[in-house]
Amino acid sequence: MADKIKLFVNGEEVEVEAGKNLIDAVGAVGIEIPHLCYHPALGADGNCRMCLVGIEDGRPPLVPACKTRAQEGMKVLLDAKHIKKIQRDVMELELINHPIDCPVCDQAGECKLQDYYMSYDQAESRMTVAPVKKNKKMDFGGGVVHDQERCIICGRCVRFLRQITKTGELGIINRTDVARVNIFPGRPINNRYGINVVDLCPVGAMTSSDFRFKQRVWFLKKALSVCHGCSKGCNLTIDHNKEKNKDDIIYRFRPRLNEQVNGYFICDEGRLSYKLENEDRLTTPKIGTVERDLTDVLASCKNEIEMSTNVTILLSPNASLEQMVAVKALAGKLNASISGFSDGYIITGDGDDYLIQDDKAANRKGLELLGIDTSQQGFEQAIAEADLLINFGNNLGLSYGADALKTLLTDTKTIACATHDSEYLAGAKLTIAVRSYSEYDGCVVNCDNILQKFNKAVTKNNELPTICEIAAEFGGPLTSPAEIFAELQQAAPALKPYQPATIPAEGLNLNDSEAANVTA
Amino acid sequence: MEVKILSAKFDIKNSNKLKTAKKHGAYQTLEKLFSMEPAEVIEEVKNSGLRGRGGAGFPAGVKWSFLPKDTGKPVYLAVNSDESEPATFKDRYILVKDPHMMIEGIIICSYAIGSHDTYIYVRGEYTTQVKVLQAAIDEAYKAGYLGEKVAGHDFRLDVTVHRGAGAYVCGEETALLESIEGRKGQPRSKPPFPAVSGLYGCPTIINNVQSIASLPFIMQEGADAYKAYGTEKSPGTHLFGISGHVEKPGLYELPLGLPILEVIDKVAGGVWKGRKLKAVIPGGSSTPVLLPEEAATTTLDYESMAEHKTMFGSGGIVVLDETVNIVELVQNLINFYHHESCGQCTPCREGLGWMKKITQKILKGEGSMADIDLLRELCDNIEMKTVCVLSAACTMPVRSYLDKFRHEFEAYVTANEPLVAEATEE
Repeated sequence: MADKIKLFVNGEEVEVEAGKNLIDAVGAVGIEIPHLCYHPALGADGNCRMCLVGIEDGRPPLVPACKTRAQEGMKVLLDAKHIKKIQRDVMELELINHPIDCPVCDQAGECKLQDYYMSYDQAESRMTVAPVKKNKKMDFGGGVVHDQERCIICGRCVRFLRQITKTGELGIINRTDVARVNIFPGRPINNRYGINVVDLCPVGAMTSSDFRFKQRVWFLKKALSVCHGCSKGCNLTIDHNKEKNKDDIIYRFRPRLNEQVNGYFICDEGRLSYKLENEDRLTTPKIGTVERDLTDVLASCKNEIEMSTNVTILLSPNASLEQMVAVKALAGKLNASISGFSDGYIITGDGDDYLIQDDKAANRKGLELLGIDTSQQGFEQAIAEADLLINFGNNLGLSYGADALKTLLTDTKTIACATHDSEYLAGAKLTIAVRSYSEYDGCVVNCDNILQKFNKAVTKNNELPTICEIAAEFGGPLTSPAEIFAELQQAAPALKPYQPATIPAEGLNLNDSEAANVTA
Repeated sequence: MEVKILSAKFDIKNSNKLKTAKKHGAYQTLEKLFSMEPAEVIEEVKNSGLRGRGGAGFPAGVKWSFLPKDTGKPVYLAVNSDESEPATFKDRYILVKDPHMMIEGIIICSYAIGSHDTYIYVRGEYTTQVKVLQAAIDEAYKAGYLGEKVAGHDFRLDVTVHRGAGAYVCGEETALLESIEGRKGQPRSKPPFPAVSGLYGCPTIINNVQSIASLPFIMQEGADAYKAYGTEKSPGTHLFGISGHVEKPGLYELPLGLPILEVIDKVAGGVWKGRKLKAVIPGGSSTPVLLPEEAATTTLDYESMAEHKTMFGSGGIVVLDETVNIVELVQNLINFYHHESCGQCTPCREGLGWMKKITQKILKGEGSMADIDLLRELCDNIEMKTVCVLSAACTMPVRSYLDKFRHEFEAYVTANEPLVAEATEE
């Protein structure tokens, strides 16, 4: 735990964490100091002047809270008349050249300027002269569209690209009220994290070409999730909505703060991977290539399982821990070999030293945790002896070419549970469409051994079964979420003090708990 | 009234050349300097009461003593030659007429503060001045006054000239440092102050050209000789640039503390064309204006200026005669500061543009009383809410014009015509 200090805000004593600036320190105990340019990931710049507060100790009468470290005994003035007036005055100046057309602005509903206007200003405009004209709808590249008139020159985007991605595509050119954010001629935003500037922008100046004008944000339902795009497991908010007479659709992924995983940001690929949840989904079960009722397909599956003499079960490295536990139990029941072979999910050299990992699977560590073999040799040995392969979501097409796969499975029939259609599925005798991770609850373990929980976001009109349910249908012994979780707690002792709903939001670091177990 | 200390060599031909400068006493203080301890030099400068000549008037010796000791980092000296304040034209004379006096001052200051690298930041528009200054520095290197062993003593000193790109705001200490470091010239938040963390994060002293150029005299003649000029709290001499509606505009070196009206009359020949005095800008465009009756009791020193709710500033005195249209003057003033706002802080970036447009509106005869009130209110709303004082450099004088000449603004609103005397050409 960080050290605590006591200071006074408006005369009231509050206890805050030491070593933080005033905005973060008193913000953590629920006292808001308005700010536009400051962002905890980018540090204090001090340009917006919204966070000016009074300190009653003889120092200059006004200090920017973003640049002032909380100190023991400090007397901070926030509600004094002159401070409130400054907030109003700065808001007025922020707004004189800012288009007041919130109803047609994509940021409306999640705009700090709009919120602050309601909280700190609410005054009639006194602007009777022409505002400054600047450029609108500028394509900055990388999926970012910029509106210079809405921009309040807080510089968050510029600082992000300089400090975090170190690519520096943006700059503030010119001075005075014609200062504007721009790219350099012919050099658009070109890095794998660029769209974060859209989240960072406190106003509607930076919009995502992918999301803009698709939904009013207040209609979006929010669910807490974890990205399955790679093994980092960046924390997400899934924004989705089911419009009348339509299906539940995901409109965007947004990064969600988790200091021990991804901080405030996510990569663009992960952000845009929401599309995979909406598009090219497998929705109907099939026998051969013919679409059939789930009941028929399940009956055929059970028949195949009964008839077979040697079963190999293959798991996806993207399956949740719960699914892995359920399938592992099924394998035990069927006396089947189980493999998590999925080398094809690893793209060597694709990762970077920030968030993106080589391994494009979300839960390889989960396979490890449950002691499921992932070796190619193990899988191929098992397949050589098997007459039936039950594949739970593993896209073998990533690990083998079409011909190699055909050879490998010459004498093996396949029952495939899948979320998406793929070439590989063409060879399956039976295909069951299952839910994808935005449609169920579960846990995954990321590359740093942090176990994280994610929530079900979407309920489709045609709701598909989960892998857990299919495993139970096939005769798996674990038939309820409670049984599965109890089994999971055996495999991961760190989970013992928790129930699915009480797993900490920041995740459980299994390294820590292992270490704790050792010392205990 | 005039004295010749800083300007002693200004009238000598080729005074910028080392040979001529040496003949008239340049670099003669160095033997004495290196026989003293740096702390003694600082003490001598403190005793002289020399105040920073960039405008703020902070005691130079005290500023030097703010340097933290033994940080293990180099100490830098930056000489501010960004002289960009409208109506100010003193440092440019030093750069051209007596650059060796400044170089000598740099040696004195560097020795005192333990600095071995000086950056002279010269205003971008000063093209001739840069050439002359660089030639003088080259001569000084050749003659051994700069380089590995300054005047044969075990003291290295390198001087680099850095040209600005034409931004007024780079005269602000920390914007100047940003500019030297190769970034956009925008002031830094303080603290930390440059003395603690300045150029490249190292302790840095920033002094104005004239402050530095005053050092050789103090070293040569001693603190008491310097204090013999000026007043007790504002000792020494200053280069005053007198411009505007006077018979003899120009640069005059005067001791501090003289009555401003007497200086205008006796030194600058009085208000021109026999016209009446309307107002005086005492120290550059950013200083609040003085009415004749206020000027009557004002003397040219930091204390008297403060008593009259204005500032000593940069010594750029502008005399305004009765034909001056104050509203147009204010428009001109706001245009300048609006143009020069670095655009960093919201109040200055957005506010000065708003003030400019409101003034335009009033001048066009489209304004209202509410616009005048708004303009006045904006001065308060913007001032001192920003990282640096550029916005205050605009709002302080504008407020003074609005308060002292409100009737002229109102005339545009009510009668739509200016209330000033017609200019009569003889």
